[in-house]
Amino acid sequence: MSTSNDAGDTARAADELRRRVARQFRRSLHIRTLDTGSCAACEQEIRLLTAPHYDLHRLGFFFTPAPRHADLLMVTGPAVRAMDVAARKTYDAIPDPKIVVATGACALGGVYQPDLFVHGAVDKVLPVDVWIPGCPPSPLALLHGLLVAVDRLAAKAAQLSFTVTGETR
Amino acid sequence: MAPWFLRGLRRGVVTTRYPARRDSSADDLPTPPRFRAGEMTHEIAERLAAVCPSQALRRDGGVLVYDVGACTACGRCEEAAPGVAAPGGQFELAVTRRADLVKRIPLRGEASS
Amino acid sequence: MSPLQVLAGAAIAWAAAGAAGLAAGRTRAGVRVTCALSGLGGAAALCGGTWSLISADSRLVTVGGSKIVGSLQLQVTSLAGVFIALLGLVAVAIAAYVPRYHEPAPGTSLYLGAYNLALLASLAVLAAGGMVTFLVAWETMAVASYLIVLRRPRRDDVAAGAFWFLALSEIGFVLIVAAFVILATKTGSTALPVMAARAHLVPGAWRDAVYLLALAGFGFKAGLVPLHVWLPEAHPVAPADGSALLSGLIVKLGVYGIALFAFRLVPGLPAWAGLVTMALGAVSAAVGILYAMSERDLKRFLAFSTVENIGIIVLAFGAAMLFGAYHQPDLWAFLLLAGLYQAVNHGTYKTLLFLEAGVVEHTTDTRDMDALGGLVHRLRRTAVITFVGTLGIAALPPLNGFVSEWLIFQGLFQGFRTGSHLIGILIVLAAATLGLTSGLAIYAFVRAYGIPFLGMPRTRRAAAAHEAGQPVAGAALLAVACAALAVGAPVVLAALDRAIHTLTGVQLRPVLLPGKLTVIPAHTGFSGFSPTYLAAFLVAVTAVPVLIYLAGRPRAATRTVPVWDGGIVAFKPRMQYSAMTFSAPTRVTFDALYQPSVSLHRASDDPAGISGPVHYETRTTPIFRRHLYQPVIRAVEWFADVLRPIQSGDVNLYLFYVFATVLVAYLLGAL
Repeated sequence: MSTSNDAGDTARAADELRRRVARQFRRSLHIRTLDTGSCAACEQEIRLLTAPHYDLHRLGFFFTPAPRHADLLMVTGPAVRAMDVAARKTYDAIPDPKIVVATGACALGGVYQPDLFVHGAVDKVLPVDVWIPGCPPSPLALLHGLLVAVDRLAAKAAQLSFTVTGETR
Repeated sequence: MAPWFLRGLRRGVVTTRYPARRDSSADDLPTPPRFRAGEMTHEIAERLAAVCPSQALRRDGGVLVYDVGACTACGRCEEAAPGVAAPGGQFELAVTRRADLVKRIPLRGEASS
Repeated sequence: MSPLQVLAGAAIAWAAAGAAGLAAGRTRAGVRVTCALSGLGGAAALCGGTWSLISADSRLVTVGGSKIVGSLQLQVTSLAGVFIALLGLVAVAIAAYVPRYHEPAPGTSLYLGAYNLALLASLAVLAAGGMVTFLVAWETMAVASYLIVLRRPRRDDVAAGAFWFLALSEIGFVLIVAAFVILATKTGSTALPVMAARAHLVPGAWRDAVYLLALAGFGFKAGLVPLHVWLPEAHPVAPADGSALLSGLIVKLGVYGIALFAFRLVPGLPAWAGLVTMALGAVSAAVGILYAMSERDLKRFLAFSTVENIGIIVLAFGAAMLFGAYHQPDLWAFLLLAGLYQAVNHGTYKTLLFLEAGVVEHTTDTRDMDALGGLVHRLRRTAVITFVGTLGIAALPPLNGFVSEWLIFQGLFQGFRTGSHLIGILIVLAAATLGLTSGLAIYAFVRAYGIPFLGMPRTRRAAAAHEAGQPVAGAALLAVACAALAVGAPVVLAALDRAIHTLTGVQLRPVLLPGKLTVIPAHTGFSGFSPTYLAAFLVAVTAVPVLIYLAGRPRAATRTVPVWDGGIVAFKPRMQYSAMTFSAPTRVTFDALYQPSVSLHRASDDPAGISGPVHYETRTTPIFRRHLYQPVIRAVEWFADVLRPIQSGDVNLYLFYVFATVLVAYLLGAL
């Protein structure tokens, strides 16, 4: 057996496991947001999700402040080091199984590079399951990301072409 | 009759049907750029990498490494190379593997250095 | 063998215990012997009391016959039997508690002597069949209780608290004497059963005066607002078992006195008397719990809670009198029954709470709730027993407090049967006040249990408390009694019903307890429930999730993480709720009662600069002391000042007084 096949099997098994976990929350998901040093633009877009135009409640998603009641942790900001303890405590307080979503360009590693004050990306501090790019990601992008997190939509960025003629690797 | 009731009847349902149907507001969103690979030279790639404030563009040998996740859609690469970079129009970019957001665009021509 | 003989045995045991205490109280062995005798007396009293409860009133017995000392007239009635049984239970529990609580010291022998004398005198009050016996026993009980409170007489706060107790006790005694004397004069006898039989001979106005004097006089002892002021002063400074005896039993003697006059000696009072009693009870209940909410001192808090419970009992009695005046004998007897049951329950759990408060004070050297915390880990047995007592006093199902308050509520809800709209509305208002009180009581006891026992310790003393060597048996016995009084409520109510039948002639039993386990309040078809089934149901409902968890435990993986504290880096105990902040909403809502005064001092007034320490103090105004007692005290002092010139110190002036008095007496004799 070649190692690349092993790696592929492991990756497929991991993906299948993730999807089985995600499907538990298909139409009832409680989200806890965590700000690790963002500029609050992502928070404003997140807040807009509860407004009548986007209305995430119709999809079965709810915000909760208590991590004990949460299923999904939505993290914004570039993982400031001062938030290490709080982020870890919040993550630990959420019962398993849980999903972690890194939201916004900062959380994905852009804008801020690792230095004395920031880690730069959330996946350096917490294990992330879904990444949502954008600065800030619009409410539509957030809805898409949440639906990917609960396996109601398939992630398609891998297949998207970012060249006009279609040449990407 | 309460004024909001009549207003509501006139305007109808304002909630978007997304994801069942397209939402027209998606057309106005700032989105990460698409590149003309055919016109992407090493020199243009260096210039774009220097001008990107978010380290989303990086030249690695003969390839422009484009991290869609780090892009803030600020538009500076489109200003710096208007024919090469254009708004991409894609906003459904969430992924379950981080590597899926890192695109490699082959460069045309030879390296200048 | 009769109940009276059993109680005589109890009296002998207590007298012996008192003597042993005085003789040998300074040694540990002496304390143990005293307590053994005291407990024996308590057991005898419990048996005798229960026996007399279910049998008819005994006949009047006269003991002694000396012309100088007079004779003792004793009669054990069913009504007294209720309180004698409670006395016995409290005595047994405290006897089990004292050996581990009191250190043998010079004051201990006097204390043990006074304590057993108080028990003996209380028994005599309850078993008194004649006016003189009653009054002598009452005064002995008051003085003995004063000595109990005055355990450490050199401390100012102890002396002040004991003085408040004695002063108000004596004022009440004067009123009680007045009531008895008027009644004896009008009925021509000093024997209680004769007074009761000739009650109809007393003219209406005198009868009302007798009742009001008795209500006020016994109200001082029971702790009705505004006559309650001694309770929060005396309870904190007395030793724990002394406070337990005070709240568990001594205030019940006041309740017994009110019941004695209202239902036995001068029954058939007009409706306004019942209304006044009910209103006094309602006000006491509400004011008591409101003041309790603002107390940081555990024992002051429990003292105000006693005021609240006495208010509830007197409210039930008042409503009973009202129903009696409106020709509803079933509800008259039923509310009396409910009030007596509430009295017994309160005696049980309040004694328990005071004993455990003593343990807490002993192990942490403080009574301040804001200095405690986390005691459920340090004092595990105490915490469990206190929890049972707290459930009882907060009137939460399935315990005894819930059953008795439910009965009182159901009696009050039938106010429409009086036929008068106004009275019906007033009774419903009393029920609403009782509802407010019950809700506030739950709030107050969540605070009183949660702040000291749960959470994290707020001081080092609380963190260092340990339970070794602390008394457990007495309080545990009372906790079992609370549960038994609840689950066995049908049995207890059947026994109380016999007492009610003897006292009032009303037969409640067929309607009250139709089957073995259900309780119906007075009239069929109104409501009913089964305390036994409720207790079983609640236990089962709580057990099912526990069993599911235990069954699933081997397979399910558990992850233990610290309590969620908001992600704070270092959660400090001072960040928790304090007792005063937890009850702050009541201080805001009821500020007309509290009339708080706030003092705020800043080191500097410069808002832009560094201001330094800020001193914030808020006080509630003691409105009864300030507006009722202080004016009276000032008037007495003024009058004493006016009279001072008489005592000039000059012998000649005193001789002149003697001469003038002889002259006046001679002239009066000649006329």
